[in-house]
Amino acid sequence: MFTLNNQLEMKKITVSSLISCIYLPSIVTVISYKGLLYTVGNGSSFYILVLIFVAEILKAFYLSESNNEAQQKRSKPGKSRASDIVKSFIFLLCVMFCFFVGIILFGAPVLESHEETLMLSALLTLLTVFPLIAHAGVETSMQLLFGVKSYTKDSIFEMLVNNSILTVCGAWLGAVVIPLDWNTPWQQWPIPCYLGALGGYLLSNATNCRRTCLGTCRLRVAATSRSVLRRRTRLYSDIYVSQNRFRVLARETELPATSV
Amino acid sequence: MKEKWNYILYLIWFSYLVLSALLMFGHGFLLSRKSLSDVSECVPLSNFGCDGRENSTTSEYCSEDEKIRRIASNPGAPMACSAARHRVVFMLVDALRYDFTQYDPSIENPLPYQNRLPVIQETLDSRPDSARLYKFMADPPTTTLQRIKALVTGSLPTFVDVSSNFAAMELQEDSSIDQLHKNGGKVVLLGDDTWARLMPGRWLRSHAQYSFHTWDLDTVDNEVDSKIYDELRKDDWDLMVAHYLGVDHAGHRYGPNHPEMTRKLRETNARLKKIIETLPSDVLLYVLGDHGMTETGDHGGESKNERTAAIFAYRGAGLSADIYGTGREVPQTDFAATLSAALSRPPPAPSLGTLMMPTLPKMSTTHTLLMLSNNLKQITKYLVRYGEESQQVSLEKLTQLINMTRDQIDKAASVYTENELNNYIADVRTVTENVRNIFREVWVEFDSLSMLRALLLLTLAIFFNWLITEGIPMERLPNIFASTFVSTGLISMAVCVVFCYTAYFFELLEDVEHAIFLSTGLMSGLLTCSLVIMHWDGITQRWYEGRSQLHERFSRSALVGSAAVLVSNSFIIEEGAVLSFLSLTILALIAWNVKTIKALALWVAFGAVLAATRVYRGCREEQGDCWTAGGNQPTGQASRAALVLALGSMAAVVAVARRHIGWRGYGVVLAGLFACAHWAVGWGTLGSPGRSKLLARGAWLVIVTMLLLLFRRDGRGAILPVSVCGLLLYVASSLVLGAALAPAAGLGLLAGCLAVALVAMVKTEGVTKFSLSARCSSSTICLWSLLACYMFYGAGHHATLGHVRWAPAFHAGDPQTVPGLKYVAGVFMFLELFGFPLLFGATVPLLALWGRPASTVGPRSQLAAVFALCLKFSLCFAIRVFASALSATIHCRHLMIWGVFTPKLLFESGSCAAALIGAILGAALTAWHTPSQQKSS
Repeated sequence: MFTLNNQLEMKKITVSSLISCIYLPSIVTVISYKGLLYTVGNGSSFYILVLIFVAEILKAFYLSESNNEAQQKRSKPGKSRASDIVKSFIFLLCVMFCFFVGIILFGAPVLESHEETLMLSALLTLLTVFPLIAHAGVETSMQLLFGVKSYTKDSIFEMLVNNSILTVCGAWLGAVVIPLDWNTPWQQWPIPCYLGALGGYLLSNATNCRRTCLGTCRLRVAATSRSVLRRRTRLYSDIYVSQNRFRVLARETELPATSV
Repeated sequence: MKEKWNYILYLIWFSYLVLSALLMFGHGFLLSRKSLSDVSECVPLSNFGCDGRENSTTSEYCSEDEKIRRIASNPGAPMACSAARHRVVFMLVDALRYDFTQYDPSIENPLPYQNRLPVIQETLDSRPDSARLYKFMADPPTTTLQRIKALVTGSLPTFVDVSSNFAAMELQEDSSIDQLHKNGGKVVLLGDDTWARLMPGRWLRSHAQYSFHTWDLDTVDNEVDSKIYDELRKDDWDLMVAHYLGVDHAGHRYGPNHPEMTRKLRETNARLKKIIETLPSDVLLYVLGDHGMTETGDHGGESKNERTAAIFAYRGAGLSADIYGTGREVPQTDFAATLSAALSRPPPAPSLGTLMMPTLPKMSTTHTLLMLSNNLKQITKYLVRYGEESQQVSLEKLTQLINMTRDQIDKAASVYTENELNNYIADVRTVTENVRNIFREVWVEFDSLSMLRALLLLTLAIFFNWLITEGIPMERLPNIFASTFVSTGLISMAVCVVFCYTAYFFELLEDVEHAIFLSTGLMSGLLTCSLVIMHWDGITQRWYEGRSQLHERFSRSALVGSAAVLVSNSFIIEEGAVLSFLSLTILALIAWNVKTIKALALWVAFGAVLAATRVYRGCREEQGDCWTAGGNQPTGQASRAALVLALGSMAAVVAVARRHIGWRGYGVVLAGLFACAHWAVGWGTLGSPGRSKLLARGAWLVIVTMLLLLFRRDGRGAILPVSVCGLLLYVASSLVLGAALAPAAGLGLLAGCLAVALVAMVKTEGVTKFSLSARCSSSTICLWSLLACYMFYGAGHHATLGHVRWAPAFHAGDPQTVPGLKYVAGVFMFLELFGFPLLFGATVPLLALWGRPASTVGPRSQLAAVFALCLKFSLCFAIRVFASALSATIHCRHLMIWGVFTPKLLFESGSCAAALIGAILGAALTAWHTPSQQKSS
């Protein structure tokens, strides 16, 4: 059922998700072992972002390296690559600023703790938009963001978009524990959201792995059969309705109802 | 269209169901303590024999000391009257917080309330034998009426009495003043007339002043001052009660951090100095506060600041040794016993306090013992009587307590030396503390049966109405409501009521109200259930076919989530942030569904508006950082910037709205102008309060007239009247919020407009043209109700009783001075607190009708959609109030039940009522203005 290309993509997805599933928990483990887990909001924890940045770039290289030859031929010489990098950097800054504003709108302090909010928005940018850009370039990801292009055909895109959505959801969900009066150190802004974003990203990658390794075929089959079933019942109900209508018509025109 | 008014009737029916269930819950939950009508009696010493029994037959002779020892150690003997009666001046300075009385010369820049009562410290320093100062810990609720009751009865008045604060009723229990009055003592009253209403006919001379409507700071105090020195010179009284209100009123009006507070405290200082100078040396003087105040000058809750009052005792001829040490915490329940002891009476029957020995004159050991044993005997008697009358306290606990007190009484005979006496006093204190703690634990007696029934009724109403709104297809609604369903329902309810009254008449029922609520609730549950069963095919079909979109599913869960977190006290405390977070997320998902730049811009604007309301959000005491940073609202005058903002926001709203609403615009403009003029004229020290109040009255006149004129038909559809109604409610609520908070009302209106604009852009799958079902989606209505709930916090309120601002009730003058306008102040308060649920409820029809020529959909389906939306809106609030009732039930023994959960329940019920009223108003306006003729199909 799957083409060779699809299987290749599947392999890539599996490997890259596995890599994220390994490197993120190890980072978190190391910093919590070092007792630095509660400093993730400070500017001093910038090295975490650098680590994630490196890992994501490596993953992106892996994802796009062995693309089919047609795309490799289209890739441009080094001069425009530099401008690409500048462009994507500016784009990333814009996205980060948007995240920053959004987080403040959602209830982060307006006038204080800008550093913490900035760290969180940087992390969100790194985990959501950055992999997309690194994989597909600025233009394509912009098109994706503004809904010009749909991504349903490409499963790598699908994975990346899924990752970003779950990351944002994780950060959103992380805010739930902030108002509780437990007075624990990890309730400080923005630690729950930061960890929530990491958790969301991790969860998304884990489900990716599970999906590609185990259940893709089965899920696909189940989904098709479900949609077929639904279509069929809708048909039946249409028939039922039209029969009714016919009956009413028959009554009104005083035809024998048995003729239906 | 037969169904037109049936919709409204159904909405009223639903509101009745919810509110009656809430009332029933309140009856069960907010029960008061059982008050016994017992009165303490004492027998003169001469009637006792030497064996410590009354009318004893033994004729042996013994000394008085011996006799008293025998009486004191005999638990079966009645209380004996002690001989020495002292005259007492009881000076109640309302809201005298403990730190007002402290004097610290090292403070360089004292706050307006610090170091203003130096006379207390001077007296303590110069005459350490004659003066005492303690922290006087009030029990919640810290409202004046409850505190006065506690001071004279020595008991713990409960929460439910808060509602009767403004119409004080006669005290049913025994009190120190009753004790004195029955024994021929003379009492003089000066000041607040709450005393006169609480205990009428006990006074030799009463100079009482109606206190609540004298909103100024000085009238009552000057009146008392003009009388008190004359009274002090007379000696025909035994007890003089003087109640000064100025400090409390200064706190309510301006807060403690205001020069007015300094002035009132300085006055108090001078007064106290003069009284101490003129006081005969054998007269006892008690100066005490009935409660403290918060940093904003309010009280009613159970925060430390509200509870810590001060008590200062002085007697020129000296007091007993100070075994406590200055500044120790003593409970207010002790005061009644102490006062009675000073007046040589036994403690009043319901008292749960012990004697504050250091504030009593010096006495011999035996007399002290006699008083202590009187105290113990009275408590024992009360325990026994309370056990007979009520099953609140378990029998084992009561027996244990009674045994403890009896043991103490037995020990009295062996006390001889000073040391032993002090130990004994401490022991008695521990015993009474135990008793008090146990009673405090159980005194909130919940009627769990009616609570559970009320919860059941709420569940029934919510569940079946949810099925009706979410399940029954929209096309069927007009037919259902054109049928006899509603009339059948109303008739069956009437039958229930008649049946209950008949049963009550023949004495088959005891509580007729309860029975009516229960039977009508069950009957409506049955009827709606049968409706659901009849339309089960439609419901299943709709559910099977329809697949709701992500934002709908999310918004439903957000609403349920916002209700579910009411179980947690920390989420209630931070509820403002939670609600804005959730409503912003719902709107984000809607914008995600629309996916245009315009939607994004609208979303950002909405978020910015909500962020701007954060400026107006208040702080409650539990929010530590915010509270200590002084982020709480000032209660007094608005600043210049606030005034400019208020005028600007009002002018902007009125100017923008005027052009689009035809002739009604003139009314709105007029109301807005009046409101602006009211703020501008009343502002600052140059303002003229009288004229400002007159202008406010003008504004109210215009608003009420316009609201009545809304029912003038002009055949141009319902959108205009409904939006004008919203605008008028906006003007009204910003008028009551006052200049300082009026911009918040404007922000609330703006947020609503942005949300409507965004909601109008929602797409539905496969349908390009306008569809009513998309408009009636639950995401819209959940967003709307969450926004309405949020604006309660956005307008600077908090769900605590101490946070209620009373000033709005008087912004247009004191309505209680005008006969027939008694309830206007209540309406103002309601509008001030719950104006936004009302506003958003009244504008619900706009969600269905906005931005579309009325011709595309027939009036029948329009009306059905409006009805469905209104019912859903009411349902959202019902769900929230159900959740808070449930959490109050779960947490009824929680530490914060009176501080957090009960106020939340009260305020949530209030906003639920406002939302129900608003939804009915909006639906009625729509029905009135929708053309009746039906399009031929």
